Amino acid sequence: MIAIYLVAALAVFAAIRATVEKNTGRKLPYVNVMNFAIAGTIVLLLNHPLALVAAAAYFVGSTLEANAIASTYAGGEQRG
Amino acid sequence: MDDLLVLLFAAVALIGAVSAHLQRDRFGKLIAVGIVFGGIAPFIAARGYLDVLIAVSLIVPVTTIIILLICRRDAHDA
Amino acid sequence: MTPEFILGCIILIIGVIAAGFPRPMTYLGRLISLEIPGFGLLLIMLAYDEMLALLTFIGVTAISTFVLVRAIERKEAAE
Repeated sequence: MIAIYLVAALAVFAAIRATVEKNTGRKLPYVNVMNFAIAGTIVLLLNHPLALVAAAAYFVGSTLEANAIASTYAGGEQRG
Repeated sequence: MDDLLVLLFAAVALIGAVSAHLQRDRFGKLIAVGIVFGGIAPFIAARGYLDVLIAVSLIVPVTTIIILLICRRDAHDA
Repeated sequence: MTPEFILGCIILIIGVIAAGFPRPMTYLGRLISLEIPGFGLLLIMLAYDEMLALLTFIGVTAISTFVLVRAIERKEAAE
């Protein structure tokens, strides 16, 4: 029962930490931590078999998004 | 979903929304939009619409990747 | 007054301010800011249990973002 509050507090901490960070490259690991915490929350929130699939879909989508941002950020700096 | 969880995830979404307005870098803005979606995804799950959550969480990253196409073009020019 | 409705209204107002007065006054900043009121409207549709409207809105937002990206790309190539 305490686990979901712990994960939600972790998500808030990671969101604050990602917001106050100046460097873009250092922001992305904190965004990943927040995405893992949100995926854990979706599983813990409901007792339904489809919750596992929904959490997996959120996990895949958010990881793809963060990696695409990181790839464009690194490639754009080298090329420019 | 009780009051404390609503407050915590509303805090995540509001931090993302205010941060997306205040950031000046375009990558920072895209990251803040990702934080906003992370804040509202548990509200969709708590309502019980898990199939909607699957569809939305697969469509929103595609939107971000479409915007990233023009970010790369912009960095290449400058 | 469910919490989804109140949070959706707050995010919608912040997003309208962000899209109306973007910090770097560029097309790209305004296009990224345009995502935020979309999420606010998504929460308000969720508060009224309009599931089909929510799915249609998200799909059309993705397609219109693609069209706007092509338009901005063509405008910047012309300059």
